[in-house]
Amino acid sequence: MPTTYTELQLDALRELANIGSGTAGTALSALLGRAVDISVPSVGAMDLQEAVEAVGEPGREVRATLVPIKGDLRGSALLIFPPEDAARLCGMLGVDGDGEEGSSALAEVGNILCASYLTALGQMLGMEIEPCPPETAWDLLGAIVATVLLGQGEADGALLLDSDLVVEGESCGLSFLLLPAGDGSAGLLERLGL
Amino acid sequence: MSTRADTIVRMGDWAVSADPDDCLVTIGLGSCIGLVLVDRIRRVAGLAHVMLPQARPGQAETLAPAARARFGDLAVETLLDAVLEAGGRRIGLEAALVGGAHMFAFGSGQLDVGARNEAAVREGLAHARLPVKAAATGGSRGRTVRVHVGEGRVLVRAAQGADEVIMRGFE
Repeated sequence: MPTTYTELQLDALRELANIGSGTAGTALSALLGRAVDISVPSVGAMDLQEAVEAVGEPGREVRATLVPIKGDLRGSALLIFPPEDAARLCGMLGVDGDGEEGSSALAEVGNILCASYLTALGQMLGMEIEPCPPETAWDLLGAIVATVLLGQGEADGALLLDSDLVVEGESCGLSFLLLPAGDGSAGLLERLGL
Repeated sequence: MSTRADTIVRMGDWAVSADPDDCLVTIGLGSCIGLVLVDRIRRVAGLAHVMLPQARPGQAETLAPAARARFGDLAVETLLDAVLEAGGRRIGLEAALVGGAHMFAFGSGQLDVGARNEAAVREGLAHARLPVKAAATGGSRGRTVRVHVGEGRVLVRAAQGADEVIMRGFE
């Protein structure tokens, strides 16, 4: 994959992340019946070591929902929740955050947010993008991010599209990471004519 | 508690120390393997953070020494040379393996990266005739490894778990 992107390409990818996370935020808001704030996404291309550390302190324990992506865009979507935020989110959905039920709720939230995000991207770009069934983990952040990137075949570098979603008036937020595989990012830029 | 200096070994890196107060640390091993080589008599230890089983064909020649621990097929030789250079003796060396977890089911059409990493490193160790004295590998949880150079002690902590001594060293 190209390890350097032009400013124009990064701006275009940031705009894609903006549209995707805006749609995902609307879906989360509808699910919870509460307003959701969305940060300006950060987009970066970096080597794998930097990518793992850019997401956060590798030793931090977090909860995560992984949605592998197939079709015209290959890669992964990864939702990262601080454990206490995950518990609050589950509470808002009326389920116990711990145990199997909490993990299912977080998997379902991942399902809904990814479907919204990817549908918005697919419509805009004319691509068929297919989210796979979600998986959850409660583990070390560094282990999660490294395993996802290496598992989707990255060896040299990674492209990160990172957006934060925060439920208004609650201390409850999550990070939505889109990690296009090396060939996936080339396809995205091609569709944008860049 | 001693005032140990932690040397963090980041993904794809390796480090060697002959300072008894040093602690070599890798945080958040998922499918990656932490390869530990220890000479407890000479008090020399090394830690490599292996990312993938094999380098691409022709890639090995282009890699800087600092980057050779990324790949299982190159990591053993690279770390072994560095440990010997730091004063370790081949005859006294013992290996420990940490990581190689299977955290997600995706991409499991082929054998998962974690298991392939472990197999590649074990093959390298067998080829170098270095005994594996301890292993905390596989499963679905990420791990952190700490190597206390002076005692030759190796500690592992899995996510949501407690410290576990996998190689005891001198007390």
